[in-house]
Amino acid sequence: MLASVAALSPCWAADVDYQRDIKPLLHEKCSSCHGALKQEAGLRLDHGAFIREGGEAGQIIQLKDPAASTLIERVASRDVDLRMPPEGEGSPLNQDQIRRLQFWIESGAPSPEDELVPPSPDEHWAWQPPRQRQPTTRLSGWERNPIDAFVSCKLSEHGLSPNEIADPRTRLRRLYFDLIGLPPSPSALRTFAADPSDVAWARHVDQLLESPAHGQRWARHWMDVWRYSDWDGYKDAVRGSQRHIWRWRDWIVESLNADKGYDQMIVEMLAGDEVASEDFDVLRATGFLARNFHNSNRNIWLDATVEHTAKAFLGLTLNCARCHDHKYDPISHQEYYAFRAIFEPHNVRTERLPGERNTLLDGLVRAYDAKPDEPTYVYQAGNEKMPDKDHPLMPEVPAILGFDLVVEPIALDTLARIPDFRTFVADEDLSAARGKVEQLEKRIKKLGRETEKDKDPSELNWLNVVADKALADARCNLASLNARWKADRFRYASGEDRSQCNEYRQLKLAAAQAEHAAKVAAAELALVNAEQQQQKLANAEKTDEAAVKKAKTDVENAKKALKEAEESYSADKPKYTSVVKVYPASSTGRRLALARWITDRRHPLTARVAVNYVWMNHFGEPLVENVFDFGLRSPKPEYLDLLDWLAVDLMEHDWSFKRLHRLITTSHTYQLSSSTTAGPRPPLANELDPDNRLFWRANVRRLDAEVVRDSLLAVGRSLDARHGGPDIDFTLGETNPRRSLYFRTAYEKQMPMLVIFDAAAPTECYRRSTSIIPQQALALSNSPLAYDTARRLARHLWDSRAQDQPRDQELISTAFEILMGRPCNPTELDYCLDFLIEQTRRLQKPDRLTRVQSESQGQTQPSKDAALRARESLIHALINHNEFVTVR
Amino acid sequence: MNEHMLPSATRPLRRAFLSDLGLGFGSVALTAMLRDDLIADQQPVEAIAPKAKSVIWLFMIGGASHMETFDPKPALNKYAGKTIQETPLAHVLKSPLLENERVVAFDPNNGFIRHDIYPMQIGFKQRGASGLEVSDWLPHTGDCIDDLAVIRSMWTEDSNHGAQLQFHTGRHRVDGFFPSIGSWANYGLGSLNDELPKFIVMGQPVADCCGGRECHRANYLGPQFDGVPLAIESREPLPYASPVDGIFHEEQASEFDLLRKLNAQSALQFPDDEALRARVRSYELAYRMQTAVPEVVNVSRETQETQNLYGLDHQDTKSFGLQMLTARRLVERGVRFVQVYHGSNGGAGQWDNHKGLARGHARLCRQIDQPVAGLLKDLKRRGLLDETLVVWATEFGRTPGSQHGDGRDHHPFGFTVWMAGGGIRGGVAHGATDELGFHAVEDRHYVTDIHATVLHQLGLNPRQLAVPGRKRLEKEFGNVIHDVIA
Repeated sequence: MLASVAALSPCWAADVDYQRDIKPLLHEKCSSCHGALKQEAGLRLDHGAFIREGGEAGQIIQLKDPAASTLIERVASRDVDLRMPPEGEGSPLNQDQIRRLQFWIESGAPSPEDELVPPSPDEHWAWQPPRQRQPTTRLSGWERNPIDAFVSCKLSEHGLSPNEIADPRTRLRRLYFDLIGLPPSPSALRTFAADPSDVAWARHVDQLLESPAHGQRWARHWMDVWRYSDWDGYKDAVRGSQRHIWRWRDWIVESLNADKGYDQMIVEMLAGDEVASEDFDVLRATGFLARNFHNSNRNIWLDATVEHTAKAFLGLTLNCARCHDHKYDPISHQEYYAFRAIFEPHNVRTERLPGERNTLLDGLVRAYDAKPDEPTYVYQAGNEKMPDKDHPLMPEVPAILGFDLVVEPIALDTLARIPDFRTFVADEDLSAARGKVEQLEKRIKKLGRETEKDKDPSELNWLNVVADKALADARCNLASLNARWKADRFRYASGEDRSQCNEYRQLKLAAAQAEHAAKVAAAELALVNAEQQQQKLANAEKTDEAAVKKAKTDVENAKKALKEAEESYSADKPKYTSVVKVYPASSTGRRLALARWITDRRHPLTARVAVNYVWMNHFGEPLVENVFDFGLRSPKPEYLDLLDWLAVDLMEHDWSFKRLHRLITTSHTYQLSSSTTAGPRPPLANELDPDNRLFWRANVRRLDAEVVRDSLLAVGRSLDARHGGPDIDFTLGETNPRRSLYFRTAYEKQMPMLVIFDAAAPTECYRRSTSIIPQQALALSNSPLAYDTARRLARHLWDSRAQDQPRDQELISTAFEILMGRPCNPTELDYCLDFLIEQTRRLQKPDRLTRVQSESQGQTQPSKDAALRARESLIHALINHNEFVTVR
Repeated sequence: MNEHMLPSATRPLRRAFLSDLGLGFGSVALTAMLRDDLIADQQPVEAIAPKAKSVIWLFMIGGASHMETFDPKPALNKYAGKTIQETPLAHVLKSPLLENERVVAFDPNNGFIRHDIYPMQIGFKQRGASGLEVSDWLPHTGDCIDDLAVIRSMWTEDSNHGAQLQFHTGRHRVDGFFPSIGSWANYGLGSLNDELPKFIVMGQPVADCCGGRECHRANYLGPQFDGVPLAIESREPLPYASPVDGIFHEEQASEFDLLRKLNAQSALQFPDDEALRARVRSYELAYRMQTAVPEVVNVSRETQETQNLYGLDHQDTKSFGLQMLTARRLVERGVRFVQVYHGSNGGAGQWDNHKGLARGHARLCRQIDQPVAGLLKDLKRRGLLDETLVVWATEFGRTPGSQHGDGRDHHPFGFTVWMAGGGIRGGVAHGATDELGFHAVEDRHYVTDIHATVLHQLGLNPRQLAVPGRKRLEKEFGNVIHDVIA
């Protein structure tokens, strides 16, 4: 920056260079409308020859009179209607930029002969369907599978050679964290170290992939991408996402463990209600859609649905076309809204589940098409106040991706239309009403046994009156429910609406009468309750004026309500309140069409985007740098052939993630050492490719937030590995030993320890960052969980040492294995042994020490035995060792 | 001061890592290494001579009325009871500036123009040598008026409390979350202290309705640039800042000592591992924070006179006074950005006086007046005001018309903030609203003009604060308000 300021000296002009000054300027300011993507006015400004050529209106530069050039006039104009770039499309050029342009023209508008013409956007690598091309390498025996062939080929092209394979313990620890998110046991490490064969490795891979913990580990990765969030809101009001959405999380875990195809997962998440409208297990998947719920504005809700469906599955920044045509990709403003039209009809609802009548407490949240005919309009400039109502849109997908949606409406089954027809609903409601009747009958019997000896006669009288009315109310309510169920069943059960049948008229009449009787009975009960209260106050010794007044009003209101209830029945037009809720009988099929389109074998993006995520989570770096943008700003990746090979392989093998995991983890490439210094290999790969873009070594990674916490619980032998269930209060993270993915995570509702270790923001997290901040050090050194872990592990090691050999060497070495996956070296052992001696001595004289006063309490108290406490202290220090949170 | 502004290329390479790690805990050499590393964290920035080292950013949650604090409008008294249409000033209702408003969701309770003109609820007096008028609810702040630059021509877009977020990121609530002003300062500046974070937050933050903690977070800059909240009223001001009960200091210190030795062993094996190096550093800082944080929040060693200056001896002013005094102690120790929230109530904020404005604002002004004035006076007498920029702000103003007969509604079209110290001119009023206090009409400033001015005084050019792949909009940068700079 200083350099360019210095360049503004009087001789700056001589410095103007097309490649350095002009091309980037025109690229930034002009090329989204005058470039490869679009050629407004037939003009392109992304190549020297095109600039000299001009547009439809002729030449735009005049070499003889640069200041009169149209190009200069338009960028320098004071008239905002004329000035380029147009208002809202970019800031105007400043004086220096204009002078540079002018000088460039003055000097003959030179540009390099060999300047490349930016390619047409439809040639972009990511829009071409992936094809498998075999690598052209001479196999050296190093390669275990095609991944290695591609890597080996690429490395030798660049004069690089891969690292040695990592030592067995490092490899096995890496594999455990990657596949199940928990550390290996010392015995697993020792066994593998003794026989680190390919066969043994493959056995571990298979075992871990079959472990139920695998689904828990990888569910969390996909929950990042799919924006999992429990409901958020202030107090009890839901602002975003939905209650009970944890069922979707459980569906993710189960689907991954069952190795459900990724294509099927997409179908179920986007259109589970259209493919299996009655299957509660499948419907859970539509939590993907329900998660986007937003209470204050439907546009925010649908915009989020469009943006994140496109980013998560397609690596497409469709959201950039919400207010105008996409600036970089060939996606029009209209295509954004046509994509939105796919989701326009849908909404969310909560189904009742057996055993819980109140859906606030439990239920199944799911998507469905509520308004099949809801129109979609383009919002001009993205402004919802300016819909273009003259041109309603059909659901469509961006044309650049090659083929169209095929939408067919779907007829739904009765239970999808009327979920209340599930037998448990009527059973539970009627049995609750019946229970109420029985309970009151019992109460009246009991009252009948009480005599005037037990109670004041006037009170007893009142109790009897109220109980009688209550019983009448309960009976009428039961009768009303029965009659209304009967009527509703007749009307809807056959599938067609039989509201015009004679038989229905009879049932309707009966239902209306029963409901009316129930209303009257309820009002009568309310009246006697109010009267009793009034009587009570009249009999009271002290008079409370306000209460008396209120009681009087209550009685008057109750009388009024009773009168209204009595008059509410009309014999001419008998009406009753339906006991079932009726939803549309068909779904538009738009979302299913979208899911089928996304998972079509011809689709160029879906499999590539998925493979890229899986690769990133195994190697720490993706193959395509920007995981949610495969558009034109995403340069062709170095390993496109590898990406494509894996993408095709995924599609050809039922979209099986487990197969992909197996391919990756059994490759030689995955098992490489991460060392940057090992071996005298001139030239050192570390100097040629210090950022390891070509994967000549493994990347050193820090454990993910959830893995840090879960590993603490695991090494402390307290992990509760159970699966599923409602989201757990996030404030219980220090004390509840469930795996971290089961705790509530929503906007402003996240476990502090996870947030400190870079947990996914529930609003959006396609890729996590890895920070190293002092709060992490405080969390691992001071949290009750870290102390509890240290104390539990120390006591376990202390208790399980051989009685005749109370050797600290063994305790220390095993602790290193448990926490870092390796035994300690002699220097480390010496440090630790010295520490134990010193710390024991120190703790034997506690009166000489300063005690920390703290509010914070662990669940396990420190040992009273100074020797054991010193060992707890040692383990506590080791938990804070960099290697504990590091995967090499 | 300029040492930390060195362009990155001229920084000496440090390869003395291993020998540094062999040194004892808290040694001079280690401290020096830490400082170097913290300096190295900082981004290369253009050299603007910095005028301020630190910022104290005070934010009134809910929307403080401009016409009852720093922007007196006698016309309100003159036309009280009339509707705006009935006055000669009815043209404000036709202004194109009304178009700037962006509504997220229709809310029947607020966001309307209130037509019945509501008189000023408090008198104003000319104060100081400058004679600027200050509300009688703010007598102590009035004492300091000659140090204040009052900016009376602010405007924003959101007519609901998402404006709290907008004030901190420059982006409308609907656009999503972006780095906050404090995090940009944190990102751009080096550290002056190796015991405390650079960006500290006090007070109950903005509620989640209105942007929540994103008002002091760094979003895409990464969590290392987030504001670190200090709950100074609590016995644990920072999460995990102290070990569990019953641990001995010596026990913990020897653990850290062992840890340092063991990590140094690892470093022998992995000499290129920058993450290991950073983690060792983070433990050093964490260890120091454990003592530095309790020390800095402990004001008991301040003289009685100082404590009283901030109003610690009065119930009304005690809470905010303690935060102001702590803010001074933090900037004194080199903390770069101290953000203090006032008036959170878990929802829109206490300053949101739709009803009962006179009672509400009188109480809220009393809570902040003496503490803020105490801070300014204390900074000044210690020679710290020159290098400490104090900003007093709120998300929007309040309507000239009445709501519910005794309150005012939200008003994004014109409101007031002030700045003091850190190279700001004192005793000036900049910009103006119209006669009714409706529209900012002279020298209009969008909220990021405050950001630009703050960053400029810190020696940073906002246009150079950017991250590859994250395009910032023009409106996020703002323009420096040169008129208020000394």
